Amino acid sequence: MHPQIESAFNEAENRYLHPEELGVITQYVESLPKRMQTYCTLRDKEMTIMQQVADQLVKTLPGETTEALERSIKNALLVMRYCAMGMLLNNEAFVKERLRTWMGQTMKAYHSQTIDSALYELLTQALNQALTPQQLSFFNPMLAAAQAEFLPQDQPLTAAALGW
Amino acid sequence: MISVADLLVNDRIPGSYFATDAYVRSDLEMGLLENRQGDRLIALPETLIQAIYSGLDKETGQASRLVLFNCGRWWGKNFYARFCAEVTDYYGIPLSNMAMVEFMQALQQCWITHGWGKVDLDQSYQHRGFLVIKGWNSVFARLALKHEQPVCYLEAGILAAFFSQLTGKDLHCIQTTCESMGADCNRFVLGLAKRLEPAETMVTNLAHDAIMQALCGEN
Repeated sequence: MHPQIESAFNEAENRYLHPEELGVITQYVESLPKRMQTYCTLRDKEMTIMQQVADQLVKTLPGETTEALERSIKNALLVMRYCAMGMLLNNEAFVKERLRTWMGQTMKAYHSQTIDSALYELLTQALNQALTPQQLSFFNPMLAAAQAEFLPQDQPLTAAALGW
Repeated sequence: MISVADLLVNDRIPGSYFATDAYVRSDLEMGLLENRQGDRLIALPETLIQAIYSGLDKETGQASRLVLFNCGRWWGKNFYARFCAEVTDYYGIPLSNMAMVEFMQALQQCWITHGWGKVDLDQSYQHRGFLVIKGWNSVFARLALKHEQPVCYLEAGILAAFFSQLTGKDLHCIQTTCESMGADCNRFVLGLAKRLEPAETMVTNLAHDAIMQALCGEN
């Protein structure tokens, strides 16, 4: 559950909830049917989306071994399942906890960063086609949270990074 | 052509079995800690660990090192059996068929989740018959009585037994650097007892690299 909602429930014996706290709960409850619908779409289209990504990935990176590509695709399927559950729960922490360290280390150990960067780009494109903008607004924060755990982040735009 | 559907076994994709939030569960009503299989976990308070160290030191003096090492061996043997059973059950493949990367991932995460700190494998001396395990943030190093030599005998015993079971060879383990002495990490050298023997006396006055050179130079 979203940490903000969880902490609101802990206030029961202290006081009735403030309007803004109720607002967070209302927002979540109202979004739940749409989250469920998005979850079902992802579940039903899991194979279609990932097969499309896999086919394009093979074309994009012809030099990579099937074994390496399959490993990355399998990991991406897992990431998608964690993200889908995280979206249902509205909890990025769930996604982060499940992927923390090990996914990044696995990618590093297998030197699969090139494949993974290409894969997640293709996955984003495939999701843009498969989901509506509203569904994407629920799902994308989870995918971004997941990627932050294992894909190298872009350098922040600072004076030092620009060499000024 | 890759068939994505063929990548799944029984529609499942194993993740990180030892992920902390998934692995440790608590039953508040019963006051119990359990792992995700429902097996009991015990929490060791710092006071107890400190008491074990000081009690052993008072009762057995220098022999406490051997006592701790042997306790570690016993613990490590059972730990290996449990690790094997749980990992085999979850990933659906025997430990011997697991890729080294995945095995180490599981072991590292298992170590973290049990609160023993971080571990990593240093394979620089593998071709000479020695395996080096590096550890960080060890509670056993932090709470042990300070000495002029490494103090993680319990962990050394655990690692000796664990890797002996894993490799099917009777391995010994000697700690060469220790966080309790201000080192950046704890280094444990694993190898055949006879080949590791000379290092026993070196740990008090030689650095890790010098010990490794001496050990490898002899062969």
